[in-house]
Amino acid sequence: MVDGGSPKASDANADAAKAARERLRAQMVRLAEGDQSALEEVYEATRVKLFGICLRILGDRKEAEDALQDVYINLWQRAGSYDPSRASPISWLATFARNRAIDRLRTGKVRGGAVPVEEAAPLADEAPLADSLLIDAEKSAQIHTCLDTLDDRTAMHIRSAFFDGYTYAQLAERADVPLGTMKSWIRRGLQRLRACLEASE
Amino acid sequence: MSSPRDQDMDDDFKRGNALSAAEYSLGLLEGEELLAAKGRLANDDGFAWRKVWWDNWFAPLTDQMPAAEPSPQVWERISAEIKLRPADDMPASGVVAANDGTESNVVDITARLRRWQWTAGLTGAAAAVLAAVAFVGEGTGPAPVPTATEAPQFASADPLVAQVPIGDTGLRLDVTYIPESDRLLVGAIGLTADGVHDHELWLVPEDGSALQSLGVVAPGEVRSFELTDEIVGNMGSGVNLVLTREPIGGKPEGEDAGPVVAEGTLTSV
Repeated sequence: MVDGGSPKASDANADAAKAARERLRAQMVRLAEGDQSALEEVYEATRVKLFGICLRILGDRKEAEDALQDVYINLWQRAGSYDPSRASPISWLATFARNRAIDRLRTGKVRGGAVPVEEAAPLADEAPLADSLLIDAEKSAQIHTCLDTLDDRTAMHIRSAFFDGYTYAQLAERADVPLGTMKSWIRRGLQRLRACLEASE
Repeated sequence: MSSPRDQDMDDDFKRGNALSAAEYSLGLLEGEELLAAKGRLANDDGFAWRKVWWDNWFAPLTDQMPAAEPSPQVWERISAEIKLRPADDMPASGVVAANDGTESNVVDITARLRRWQWTAGLTGAAAAVLAAVAFVGEGTGPAPVPTATEAPQFASADPLVAQVPIGDTGLRLDVTYIPESDRLLVGAIGLTADGVHDHELWLVPEDGSALQSLGVVAPGEVRSFELTDEIVGNMGSGVNLVLTREPIGGKPEGEDAGPVVAEGTLTSV
């Protein structure tokens, strides 16, 4: 099981996290204005987290480094598409990195060249994430709480979709059930997840 | 699929729309379902809002992914790349030369395609350039379509058709729009899937707004697509369609569109 992160961050850590988020937000604004130095600052602040995401999804350092490069170059091109009113910068960046890594994973599978995630070497905590880079302790605790209300099987498949980048078809194949059955399980789970998350808002 | 359609499945089907933003956010979808979700993302504000809502809830899960330090060469490569290319002025990445001898035009269209996706609108001048370029290949197809030099004349009841020749293969897409049905029929008879690419069909709105995805074509089949009101509003005689080559499943979110491999124009019959 995945544990619930560190929701009990101390006040000092919470302040540091808030300051880090504000700094990143300001850097994203400068980035959108075409300030190259802002990209380097964003890279310094976020590379270990975003590389961790790419590495987890792709399971291969070379692929993950290519994906990471792709993430920041696209970020440079598209910083204007970040909407600060909808997402925190680190949340948006994490989503962006995961999406790019998944795109690469899917393309790689088409080529037949990608290393299956389960064959990837276990990842050491090469650079433990500072609390200031965690996305949002409250939201983090809530999504885990809500996932835990699902039956174990459904929660496992939803987690696997998120962490391994599996599609419905891949999840169905791995669980050896018909595609429709997997969709049915997951949709029911997502329905409950949505109700639980909405109730917390 | 061949799963039993019991009551639960029917319920799930009804819920499907409401949940497809979650499925899309997680990355569960493939193929046409993925394309349908992408189409909704571009054309349905409510869907786009809900997708970000799910993104924001799922994003903290990345805190469970162990952080890792990339090699210093990654920043060196990024830095070198952006110094060469100022923001918003990079050539389209991944452009593959078309096989019809119009590479430079393809690059031009692709670069513009990309720009449209980033900026809300498209200038009339850019639209005019696209229209001009789109007719370069005219005559190579089996059935040239009339040029749209005049304002669209669109009798609402008239079906619209477009033939989209694919390079010099002799193959083409047949696109039919029947106004009352709000559906688009796309026939790709004779085309075969290469297992590596899909082709995505786009409408180029005459008002210069962003391209609208009409979906991924299904090789060897005639397929019926339901159109959103936003797309229906842009349908008319003289409207241009472009076909891009994409990874399986269609243009990945956030990626540049692939190279334009064919164009055509809707005309009334």
